[in-house]
Amino acid sequence: MAIDPATSSSPEPQAHVSRRTLLKGSAGMALGAMALSSARTGAVERTAFGASGGPPPKGKVIDCHAHLMHHSRANWEAMDRKLIEAADKLGIDQLCCSTLTPKRPATAEGFRECNRWLAEAVGRFPGRVLGYCYVNPGCGQEALDEVRRYVEERGFIGVKLYNEHTCTEPVVFPVVELAIELGVPILHHAGHSHYFNEEQPHISDSGHLAELARRYPEAMLISAHIGGGGDWEWAVKAARNAPNLMLDTSGSVTDAGMVEMAAAVVGADRVVFGCDMSMTAGMGKIRGANLSPQDKEKILSGNITRLLGRRKS
Amino acid sequence: MMIDVNAYLGHFAFRRLRHNTADSLLALMDAKRIDKAVVSSAAAITYRNSQAGNEEVAEEVSGHCDRLIPFAVLNPFYTGWRDDLKICREEFGMTGLRLYPKWHNYSLSDPCCAELIDAATERGMAISIPLRVEDNRQRSWLLNIPDVPHAEIVKLVQAHPQARFLLVNGAGYMSSALGKKDNGLPANYTIEISRLTALLANELGQLINNLGADRVVFGTGMPFTYPDPALVKLEVLDAPEPDKEKIRSQNAAAWLRL
Repeated sequence: MAIDPATSSSPEPQAHVSRRTLLKGSAGMALGAMALSSARTGAVERTAFGASGGPPPKGKVIDCHAHLMHHSRANWEAMDRKLIEAADKLGIDQLCCSTLTPKRPATAEGFRECNRWLAEAVGRFPGRVLGYCYVNPGCGQEALDEVRRYVEERGFIGVKLYNEHTCTEPVVFPVVELAIELGVPILHHAGHSHYFNEEQPHISDSGHLAELARRYPEAMLISAHIGGGGDWEWAVKAARNAPNLMLDTSGSVTDAGMVEMAAAVVGADRVVFGCDMSMTAGMGKIRGANLSPQDKEKILSGNITRLLGRRKS
Repeated sequence: MMIDVNAYLGHFAFRRLRHNTADSLLALMDAKRIDKAVVSSAAAITYRNSQAGNEEVAEEVSGHCDRLIPFAVLNPFYTGWRDDLKICREEFGMTGLRLYPKWHNYSLSDPCCAELIDAATERGMAISIPLRVEDNRQRSWLLNIPDVPHAEIVKLVQAHPQARFLLVNGAGYMSSALGKKDNGLPANYTIEISRLTALLANELGQLINNLGADRVVFGTGMPFTYPDPALVKLEVLDAPEPDKEKIRSQNAAAWLRL
């Protein structure tokens, strides 16, 4: 990966900044103010886009779908560090993370705890971890207050919604409207199978998200993990006619042709790179996709950077 | 040298595959610097008469035997498998056997299956068992095929100590005896890496620690899957270079008797 001289020589983020400056700067960090160690960027050149993977990308690499561990796991701290180490090895510069409750539906107390821990992690890994505010829309005003607080005051870059409600349910709409007001994206858990998903009866799919996107054309929606285990061909096709809906490439499924089909059907401008903790699968898919270097750069960072740049606070 | 023990030729019933002819697969292998690949019929997974798929593969690999190593897909409950096995080994030069017990609807513990495994072993063939074909969450509305449970593999390797098993498209070995150190099982199976993690949980590293680097082999699952995730795993794997070289090719060469 080529190093941007402007970032490779940057100091670590300054310690003496006001909270508001820092919060505004968090969007700036997402756009490229992060310091990169020479060791890490060297790893990129040697690994993820190695000799058999074509030329390494010129820009940054941003994983739009990652998670930090819930603190009920005894080894959460070590697991979080391992994620950063994995990103180092794969040449991933930034990870857009959420922390989820172990069980759903999440209570307001549950998601507040997750977001508080995530905010601490953003501080522990400055410039590496960007936060999505996870809420259960069913919690109403408490969910809205949480999103506003974490986006405006703690510099979170977007909203993470899971499977408590199908995204076309009216209870979700106020969260979408608030995300529009704040100018931040929503990363929405999604999957489509040809059988009833008993474990996730309210799971959304990219068809639901396309419907939501058409209802709110100003919203920036990301349909999570086309490689997450459902019918990815269906997921890609259902997203076609919703220009403000992006597809994230994450998930453990590495079926050949997946990324190319996404780029062909919705356009490379609407595909964003993610791993969702399947790290080598996530990076390997992009490396293996038969796309131009320009399209890969859009997917690896350009598209998510464009979304994060529309922030209003 | 890089040897992929898990590749396919032909069509799959439920999804279009690219790079599924000998020429196009070889072009992909060239691009990824993979020297040799074990190939078997993707169509035979759903053909009733799997020998038709073997015939297609034999035709495709003709002239490419220096790089493509054909394996036979056979169903021990389909009539004529003894004749088919003989043809696959003696006429088609197939050096291994692939079994799909869940897709072909039989049990690995059935006497008929044992007979096929023993017959293939007597002919010097390795026995390759894919623990899955594709993620079950994306399955067609027509079927619901479970993964092969590790417990069934454990019994299988115990029942056939002379056989050489290649376990492919599997994961989660650490939670069964198959991935545990000093597990009391015969060392007659080797594990392919395409679905193993090499970071975070790092199942690949754990398997090397528990079973030894001699028991792990490189494989991609192409053209069902991109070959690159498996390549990336080897690149980021925290292991000595001699161990990586074993995984890239040496173990497969020994297991396949190349």
